[in-house]
Amino acid sequence: MALPSLTLLGQSLLSGIFIGALYGLLGLGLSLSWGMLRQINLAHFALAFLGAYLTYQLAGAGMDPLATLAVIVPCFFALGALMHWLLARFSVSAFNSLLVTFGLTAIIEALIQWIWTADFRRMESAYGEVKFRVGALYVALPELLTLAMALALSLAVWAWLRHTHTGKAMRAIAEDAPIAAAFGVNVRRLSLLLSGLSAAFAGVAGLALALSYTLAPGQIYAWLGVVFAAVMLGGLGNPLGPLVAGIVIGVSEALTMAFTTPAWAPLVSFSLLIVVLLARPGRI
Amino acid sequence: MLEIERIRVSYGAAPAISEVSIRIGPGELACVVGPNGAGKTTLINAIAGLHSIEAGALRLDGRDLSRLPRHAFCGEGIAIVPEGRRLFAGMNVRENLELGSYRRAARARRTESLDRVCEVFPILRERLEQPAGTLSGGEQQMLAIGRALMAQPRLLLLDEPSLGLAPAMVLAVFKVIKEINAGGVAVLLVEQNAALALEIAARAYVLEEGRIAAEGSPEALLAQPHIRRAYLG
Ligand SMILES: Nc1ncnc2c1ncn2[C@@H]1O[C@H](COP(=O)(O)OP(=O)(O)O)[C@@H](O)[C@H]1O
Ligand SMILES: [Mg+2]
Repeated sequence: MALPSLTLLGQSLLSGIFIGALYGLLGLGLSLSWGMLRQINLAHFALAFLGAYLTYQLAGAGMDPLATLAVIVPCFFALGALMHWLLARFSVSAFNSLLVTFGLTAIIEALIQWIWTADFRRMESAYGEVKFRVGALYVALPELLTLAMALALSLAVWAWLRHTHTGKAMRAIAEDAPIAAAFGVNVRRLSLLLSGLSAAFAGVAGLALALSYTLAPGQIYAWLGVVFAAVMLGGLGNPLGPLVAGIVIGVSEALTMAFTTPAWAPLVSFSLLIVVLLARPGRI
Repeated sequence: MLEIERIRVSYGAAPAISEVSIRIGPGELACVVGPNGAGKTTLINAIAGLHSIEAGALRLDGRDLSRLPRHAFCGEGIAIVPEGRRLFAGMNVRENLELGSYRRAARARRTESLDRVCEVFPILRERLEQPAGTLSGGEQQMLAIGRALMAQPRLLLLDEPSLGLAPAMVLAVFKVIKEINAGGVAVLLVEQNAALALEIAARAYVLEEGRIAAEGSPEALLAQPHIRRAYLG
């Protein structure tokens, strides 16, 4: 086996961190609604792609990709709250939420296909071409933006849950919602807020997808396995978990690819997941 | 102050309690005793807003609470120490106490309440930054009572506070309950440990199979041989 050069190794490490940041960004909302509200929202991925396509569309109409967040974030917040309201109204269990949101995924996929067809779409933007040179290594601006957004959102949620009045009430809801309500916490309102935030994070992840990737409706499913692994590795409901675990997975994948062949990479995340689940059963 | 009139609460189709009526005067200490599965927890949880009430009335100082949303019961002055304590195990002691004073009126007096709770339970002051899940059983019970006190209740509901505690700890907890009551807070105490509960209560109810089987002063109840036999062994 030939050893890769230091530059190649450095470049793999960097790309691992960046792809890991995207795993973390995609996993953040999923982990929060799963861990805190016991709703496993498979449609999170479809929402992220819907966000990506909307970014593509708005950018095509001349908007700055980052400015599209001003439209997408509020719309997705409302959409997430609406979805939660529907799931709560029919008191869907965690397992049934998986089935219902799987159905929703198919609907959103069909919608995307209907509007944008199954053709590949690539957003043209001024950001796409910008690259920075750090020593012998290159860093692309879209990836840097993804990392920045993932870090900012994860840390913001962490600080919210740790240090604010409503954030602490949210943690209480995650542990025992009826008792939290008995002490005056408006569980319904905070759950709507968290679901809205989760969906808004899917919208932000959509922007990251549109910045770095070519879009096709079938791609929705490509991210599912590895992001689930990051969410579970990171600990459900832990706001920093998906990002940290995502980066661990991303880097391991990248190093595996550098040392062996790309075909081995997907094995890494799931082996990691299985090892961790065996090592600390009951934690998820 | 609390008047419950013929309430019914069900899980699914079968009612767990029905036609239950109880009254607690201002500052009174009342207790409900009864065998396992009689519906004591169901009753006390319904008063705290944890279960919806299917039929009957629940009034506090004349105000009907049975149609209130769940999170509004606390604002009426009711706080619960639930069965099994149900602390927020992953949050630390301070956060658990602070959550007790979540609603605005209680929040305004949070520092003062926290000081008072730590005076009653000095051990909690030493444990403030420790996760609630790492406390011993007795400390957890103190924290559950402390959390309820942080809400500045007018009516304190306690569901089996002696469960799983060492005898010395049980006595300490009962002493605190008496002190809280002496401070003007009405108390409804649910206990398997009927001897102790009847000793400190001014008024007692016997709940059996979801219905009130007997009520009156503890002395009057204990004068009835079959109740004596059933609850004091
Ligand atoms: N969550 C529940 N679902 C269904 N039945 C329940 C539930 N909780 C309690 N019950 C039933 O309601 C009755 C009263 O229970 P409970 O109020 O816990 O009694 P106690 O506190 O006096 O032991 C019991 O028959 C019990 O089996
Ligand atoms: Mg009980």
